[in-house]
Amino acid sequence: MTATTASAPSPGGWRRGLAKLRRRPVASAGFVGVVIVYLFAPLIVMVAFSFNSSPRLSFPFAGLSLRWYEEIFTDTLVLRAFRRSLQAAVVTAGITGVLGLLGALGILKIAKRARGFILAISAAPLAVPGLLFAIGLAIMYRQIGIERSIWAANLGHALIALPFVFLVVGASLERFRFTLIEAAQDLGASRWHAFRTVTLPLVLPAVLGAMLLAAAISIDDFVIAFFTAGQDKTLPLIMYGRVLKGIDPTLNAIGTVMLVLTTSLAFMAARRTTIGER
Amino acid sequence: MNDPASSVAGALVRKCRRDRVAAWLQLLPGSTFFIAFFLVPLLGLLAMSFFRLVDFEPVADFTLSNYAEVLTSSVHARLALRTVQAATIVTAIVLLISFPFAYTLNFVFRKHRQLLFFLVLVSLFGGYIVRIYAWRSILGNQGVINQGLMALSIVDEPVRELLNSMYAVGASLVNFLIPLGVLPIYAAMQNVSPGIAEAARDLGASRLRAARQIVLPLSMRGVRAAAAFVFIATLGEWVTPRLLGGTKDLLIGNRIEYYFGASLEWPAGAALAITLIVGMGVAAYAIMSLMKRLAR
Repeated sequence: MTATTASAPSPGGWRRGLAKLRRRPVASAGFVGVVIVYLFAPLIVMVAFSFNSSPRLSFPFAGLSLRWYEEIFTDTLVLRAFRRSLQAAVVTAGITGVLGLLGALGILKIAKRARGFILAISAAPLAVPGLLFAIGLAIMYRQIGIERSIWAANLGHALIALPFVFLVVGASLERFRFTLIEAAQDLGASRWHAFRTVTLPLVLPAVLGAMLLAAAISIDDFVIAFFTAGQDKTLPLIMYGRVLKGIDPTLNAIGTVMLVLTTSLAFMAARRTTIGER
Repeated sequence: MNDPASSVAGALVRKCRRDRVAAWLQLLPGSTFFIAFFLVPLLGLLAMSFFRLVDFEPVADFTLSNYAEVLTSSVHARLALRTVQAATIVTAIVLLISFPFAYTLNFVFRKHRQLLFFLVLVSLFGGYIVRIYAWRSILGNQGVINQGLMALSIVDEPVRELLNSMYAVGASLVNFLIPLGVLPIYAAMQNVSPGIAEAARDLGASRLRAARQIVLPLSMRGVRAAAAFVFIATLGEWVTPRLLGGTKDLLIGNRIEYYFGASLEWPAGAALAITLIVGMGVAAYAIMSLMKRLAR
């Protein structure tokens, strides 16, 4: 960034150079750096300690080891929770994918004003704290006699992930050229053919990206599972239980596994959609 | 009707109508799901707040006694006050960090803004419970900060107040909510042309002045949304105080969780939750109008 400021000495050039030098955003860089470090500090510390061979959570490290990973990957309780979390992620992605794709196709065709209205309404769950939605869901299940289970939690995950799916798909539709479909049909393509060869390839990347995001949201969820999953404990529920019991070094390893899962899903999602581009 | 133009028009009208019917059919599953799993649960919450508790079982009824119980409790008044205090402080700090951060991203480091913004987004999906837990290993008696302070001989023994306190809750909440603050502010700033801030700077305004007098009013919508988001999220928080705030009943959300968990008094819990929702609506409205006045 500073390389460009070294201009050839011309009349008045040094003054401009000085002005630019004064504008060099040292303070801004420092500020951004501090905020980024603050954002990632808890995660960095956790990942680091997951490789510490001593159970104590203190520096300096006694040594590097994979013992906590070995411990969690031989712990049937953790493994079962891990499988349940993955199952929840797949089911959530499936439900939101189908609803999202259908919704995206429908919303393509309706009037612009109605489209804005539907997108706004569908974002409503984002404004409701997880706690309030989760107890509402628990009440509904209780009143209609549905047992608490991972499936009950799954439907809740799908609901909170759906707004993200709509937002992501909606954002990609802003650049959708509707004339393409008409052009294809004018050129003699049947409705199905136009859909399969024009609409679907254009909409699908956004929907797939949104499904990955939905999976990440599902794996990350604690509050809904807490109130609706019952004995089907997911990884966050296992973590919560162990944190309440006290210091447990396996938590760093479980947390790191979850972190890798959710961030890689979010990363893939961002690459497939427009979120990462802005 | 034999004229070809009108029959073409008729076919077009029919096609449009068919398209519209198909569109609503495609939107049907999503909206049904939305109603069944979002509106119905919230209505269920409302209904439950009027139920009567008989032998630890909620029974369908219409009683206002839950509200009477919830609203007259001095414990709740204290908790509500503390929750609003916490939410105000957390919102203020998050905004004071998020606005300059979004500004710097958008106007100072334009080249790298995508990468930086992506980092913020990743941290948003980087584990809710994982993060809260991680703060324990930073702030604990043997945590990173206390170890560091002792190694530098600033203190002789670990500062116990770091963990199991409002500070720990605040540090974690601010950390978790910064992305939620940056997101709407940054989005609103996309509509502010970078030339405007630059022009102000060229005319001699300091960076601070350009940010405050030019960019802030133009991105106020995003700032308001961020404030409302963060405030509401803090009002409904309970896991962070539960895991980092010590043994005391810290925020109103913990009380709701207690009603639905340990004590099994669902109707009272629902009444408290509905009261909280109403409070959130009022708070969101107040924030919006307050900030509108401040921006003037």
